[in-house]
Amino acid sequence: MSGHNKHSEQFYYEGDQSKLYSGIMQHHTDVNSAESREQVKRIWKIFWILLAITIVEVGLGMTYSHSWPKALVIFIFLSLTLVKAGFIVAVFMHLGDEIKSFLVTVLIPLVLFVWFIIAFLADGSFWLHMNNTSTARHATEQVEN
Amino acid sequence: MSQTTVITAAPKIDAWGGGRSPYNVSYGKMMIWFFLLSDALTFGAFLISYGTTRFFSAVWPDPNQVFRAFPFLEGHSVPLLFVSLMTFILIMSSVTMVLAVHAGHYGDKKNVAKWLLWTIIGGICFLSCQAWEWTHMYGECIKVWSNNPADVQHGLWGSFTDVNTPVEKFREFFSPTKAAVQHVLDTQPLVAMQSTHNFFNYFFTITGFHGGHVTSGVIFNILILVNTVNGVYERRGHYEMVEKIGLYWHFVDLVWVFVFTCFYLL
Repeated sequence: MSGHNKHSEQFYYEGDQSKLYSGIMQHHTDVNSAESREQVKRIWKIFWILLAITIVEVGLGMTYSHSWPKALVIFIFLSLTLVKAGFIVAVFMHLGDEIKSFLVTVLIPLVLFVWFIIAFLADGSFWLHMNNTSTARHATEQVEN
Repeated sequence: MSQTTVITAAPKIDAWGGGRSPYNVSYGKMMIWFFLLSDALTFGAFLISYGTTRFFSAVWPDPNQVFRAFPFLEGHSVPLLFVSLMTFILIMSSVTMVLAVHAGHYGDKKNVAKWLLWTIIGGICFLSCQAWEWTHMYGECIKVWSNNPADVQHGLWGSFTDVNTPVEKFREFFSPTKAAVQHVLDTQPLVAMQSTHNFFNYFFTITGFHGGHVTSGVIFNILILVNTVNGVYERRGHYEMVEKIGLYWHFVDLVWVFVFTCFYLL
């Protein structure tokens, strides 16, 4: 632990242990190596994909999103959004480069969103249904009485 | 356990044999991931709440009608163009951030500083755009609520709470071509006014919360840029702090992807 006194800011910012695991790619040294250039190329490729998806989304939003069937438009927009999110998380955030157990540990809690979205949106639409239909209104009134 | 053994070992592991992190990441990096996970739940709660409100509303403002302004193009209707620019800026700043992280992996101090600086500039550009859009939307809401400048002091951002507000004051936010929407505006104007009120409340809350994240991201980036230039990470032997702040910055971009879809597209 005597190393901490040598560079005190290191001790204050983070413990020595981050040195041990600081990135899978940490062992590289030459920024101009073929591997490094390959990585940079991949980053720019993802940028162009994200840009193209956004242009498609905006183009669709400006033109056909009001004439095509609503369910189809929602499906397309949500799919494209998830594809974009996937690229950002996997490549920009390097989650795709982490070991599988870490990837699974981070992603599993997000499964909660499946239930959140279904439960709350269903609740919202039932509320609208209650407001709009007399039979449902009668049903709730009976419950209240 | 001596540290030198661990450093020289550094193998790619699939099964945990003990003696090191089972996830092969440092404590700090794992914790930033779990912070982002909790932040994702917060933003998720906001967006799902927005979705629920939208689902129980008979009518909802049309984004193509609400977001159609662009600086210096007053009077022109250019739906979605300005938010496309904002999205482009944020994606671009995400790329410069990942390039800074990449340079950090190679201990390339000069490039880390360069790309961090571009990321900061991108973040500030995004915030400036948001400031313009907020000011514009606020102006729209005041204009809608009252034509009298003296009333400005009573107006809240996007609040439509006065039941005496005539329907013509908020009709412009709704689709002019959908007969069902126009029917609700004519027969139940208060329902449409409540939707307008909810729409702007969610808009300002969620984009505000996101903008707050961008702001703190810019501050973090400035801090690590100062540290990089001062050689703190060079002495430390790794640029993991750039990686951690990079994760935060990408997360902010990620949230914008969903905000963009939920508010401007759907």
